[in-house]
Amino acid sequence: MSIKEQGYTHWDGELAPGRFPWKPITRYGIKLTFKRKFFKPFFFMTLLPAVVFLAGIFISERIQDFEFMIKGSSTPFTVNPGYFYTYFTSVLFMIVLILVFAGSGLISDDLKHNALQLYFSRPLKKKDFFTGKVAVIVFFLFIITLVPGLILFIMKLVFSGSFQFVRSFPWLPLSIIGFSVFITGFFACYALFLSALSKNRRYVSIMIFGLYIFSDILFGIFYGIFRKPYFCLLSIKANLQQVGKLIFSQKPLYDVSPWYSILVLCLFCFLAVLFLSHKVRGVEIVK
Amino acid sequence: MSIEVKDIHFSYGRIKALDGVDMELSEGAVGLLGPNGAGKSTLIRILLGFLIPQRGEGRIFDLDIKSQQSMIRRYIGYMPEDDCFIPGMDAVSFTSYLGELSGMPRQEAMKRAHEVLYYVGLEESRYRFLETYSSGMKQRLKLAQAIVHDPKLVFLDEPTSGLDPQGRKEILELIMDISSKKDIQVLISSHILSDIEQTCSYVVILDKGRVAAQGKISDLKQVSYSLYEIKIKGDVVLFQKQLQRIKGKVEETVEGVMKVFIPPDQDPGVIFRIASQNNFQIRHFVKSQASLEDLFADTVGVE
Repeated sequence: MSIKEQGYTHWDGELAPGRFPWKPITRYGIKLTFKRKFFKPFFFMTLLPAVVFLAGIFISERIQDFEFMIKGSSTPFTVNPGYFYTYFTSVLFMIVLILVFAGSGLISDDLKHNALQLYFSRPLKKKDFFTGKVAVIVFFLFIITLVPGLILFIMKLVFSGSFQFVRSFPWLPLSIIGFSVFITGFFACYALFLSALSKNRRYVSIMIFGLYIFSDILFGIFYGIFRKPYFCLLSIKANLQQVGKLIFSQKPLYDVSPWYSILVLCLFCFLAVLFLSHKVRGVEIVK
Repeated sequence: MSIEVKDIHFSYGRIKALDGVDMELSEGAVGLLGPNGAGKSTLIRILLGFLIPQRGEGRIFDLDIKSQQSMIRRYIGYMPEDDCFIPGMDAVSFTSYLGELSGMPRQEAMKRAHEVLYYVGLEESRYRFLETYSSGMKQRLKLAQAIVHDPKLVFLDEPTSGLDPQGRKEILELIMDISSKKDIQVLISSHILSDIEQTCSYVVILDKGRVAAQGKISDLKQVSYSLYEIKIKGDVVLFQKQLQRIKGKVEETVEGVMKVFIPPDQDPGVIFRIASQNNFQIRHFVKSQASLEDLFADTVGVE
């Protein structure tokens, strides 16, 4: 391989930091995730619950067209805030699987291949780096939480042909946005924290999946033995369900204040951010 | 001055890495030399803003290294010592990605990535995944990402490590081309003395966290000592002892030829006088040109 005759030429442009210096990180993060094996079909599969819930709204509004199917029961289900809550909690498992694909390598790959020094030798701050990485997760999670949530709400209005639903639950769009943001924020911290724990993305994938399942199993075991609902605070899933119940004005699933769940999840996020800001730097310092 | 640091101190816990480094560098290629643990990499990391010095101050292009890191990084490129890349990317995406992170517009970064990859000789493999690159190709790629945004100053950390002789020669040619003809200042940290000698005109030698010597290589070679290659017949050990009395130093090389270092204030005739007094025969006497290796050994005190 020889050095070509063409010499080095100066670039005559102007380096501009731009308003969103993290944008390339997000763009390439999303691009690389879509390149992963089996991700595309899996990702489209995660949209199936939204389609099913959309069909549910359609059926509930055109119940007379489906009488032959329901045989006797006039309202098989009603579309209310609880219906939206059910949608969100039904995609929690899908979210975890998405994180296995999209979140596991976000930092672990950079650690493994010493790429952090490349990022931080550029005019990039830590917050830009994290924003870029978080935005990758936000992109994927909003597609299966916020976007379908709002579409379901709009379609409910379209199918019902009136604004009665809005008048009954004017706060519901805010609940949809709020819970989507809460879920996404928590899982972004969750995925980035675990991704920074190991240089091996396979281990991180196992941790993302395992911790979610294990925390729920732990809750099940302790609850089975001691019959104390407070053990729900050990479970990621149960905590998110509790928060969902609060945001959608539902009766809590367990006899524990949902504020405790918010506290537990926020504490987890706080510790994750502390850990990340310590771990992610241009150079690894071994004292 | 492009780089100016004053009284920089940095410790990793109890271990002092830099202990009052003062340095002023202007244009051209500068070599940063020192044995392992001398503080070369720590100094580069401080200049890059990865580490904050515990004491002292520094400026790069008149920008403060503590408070204006982001601005500084716009003007500098960095080629790290370790293998570093982003898996799943080809060389064009990788280089343009890092160009974008430096603040280049997307299309410009892509265009420029092609140019610099061509320049470093990776034009034929620029669409290959980085995981499949050889060590030599990765070195070239690291150089390409360091210059993609056309920096004014490039830090090269061990640029030839892990390369075969041909690859090393080619990388050195690129570095010389960049530093001599392209108005880009280069700071090379290396333990391969011949690389520094080949590419740099100015050198900073670090030892135990302090600057042991700095200046133009040609000047440093002259002021430190006069070097002669001699061959004697007689008691070599006694001859060495006699030379030590006048603060001279002897280094034995092949076939009985000795490198004799004489302090600059001493007349070379002293060698003949010692020989005469002790009945030694001098059978070979040549004034030699000190190499950077000799200078390094003399300054740092290692063989």
